[in-house]
Amino acid sequence: MAGVDVGGGGGGGRKKHGKKKAKKRVSIRIDMTPMVDVAFLLLTFFMLTTVFRKPNVLEINLPPQDTKIEMAESNLLTIRVDEEHNLYWNIGFEIPRKLKFADLRKFLVEKAKENPKFVVLIKIDRKSKYHTMIDIIDELNLANLGRFSLAPMTDIDKKEMSKATI
Amino acid sequence: MPRIKKARVPIRIDMTPMVDVAFLLLTFFMLTTQFRPPEEVEITLPASHSEIKLPEMNTMTINVSDSGKIFLGFDSARMMESMFGQPNRMRQAVEVKLESLADLLMKARIMNPKLMTMVKSDSNADYGTVSDVMDILQKTLITRFQMVTNYKTT
Repeated sequence: MAGVDVGGGGGGGRKKHGKKKAKKRVSIRIDMTPMVDVAFLLLTFFMLTTVFRKPNVLEINLPPQDTKIEMAESNLLTIRVDEEHNLYWNIGFEIPRKLKFADLRKFLVEKAKENPKFVVLIKIDRKSKYHTMIDIIDELNLANLGRFSLAPMTDIDKKEMSKATI
Repeated sequence: MPRIKKARVPIRIDMTPMVDVAFLLLTFFMLTTQFRPPEEVEITLPASHSEIKLPEMNTMTINVSDSGKIFLGFDSARMMESMFGQPNRMRQAVEVKLESLADLLMKARIMNPKLMTMVKSDSNADYGTVSDVMDILQKTLITRFQMVTNYKTT
């Protein structure tokens, strides 16, 4: 363990009772190097293992299963995603139009400005990836289009998408 | 007899303040560190702009791996034990079948009604699996849940 150096005591040839006799002040010096070494080791360890950032969460409220909401067709914005991650959008019963993922934010902000009452229906193909859903919901939140719902994609939707214009 | 030494000037740096700071930092990091428990499944989270933080307590996490496997986990060892038995006490999550998920969720909510539901899915998991999980959540009347994401800065 840490060595204790007793300085000023007269060196090695000191006798047992010599200490008592000489009432000199004995300066004790403790070698702190190993302790500091350990302290720094622990410090680096904890600094490196600490995780400051906790993951964030995206909150979703689903409606209870058997709720039906009547709404105007002109307020319904449908966004469809097929398995190749292509994006299609349409309002009401219009023919779907293609959209690039990169343009989604601008598009949604524009639409939100046009009509803040839009309810967005998201239909994603089952073979698509989970992050597409997160991306879309995230963009909707950014555009303040907080009202959206997720619906399963049916064959009718697929047919609709195939009619899409560019 | 020792030889006559040259008068060497010993350089001594007072390290006390440095050590003080080091110990201060050390205590800080020791007290604030929470060790991340080993993960049952490797999950790459998707990113979003949401700034809501993950709750610390009373969480129930449904993990969906990129291969579509579903794992159910709780943050407290006590919940893990009462749900999955003593051997699984210290585990993070246990693999469950999609068909049994609804019953398990209901059972867990009866045991602890304060549980908040987290869906933690790999960003490359099939949407279909996640959609099935969400259907089950809706059926078990968990209409409010959180999706765990990383924070996206752009």
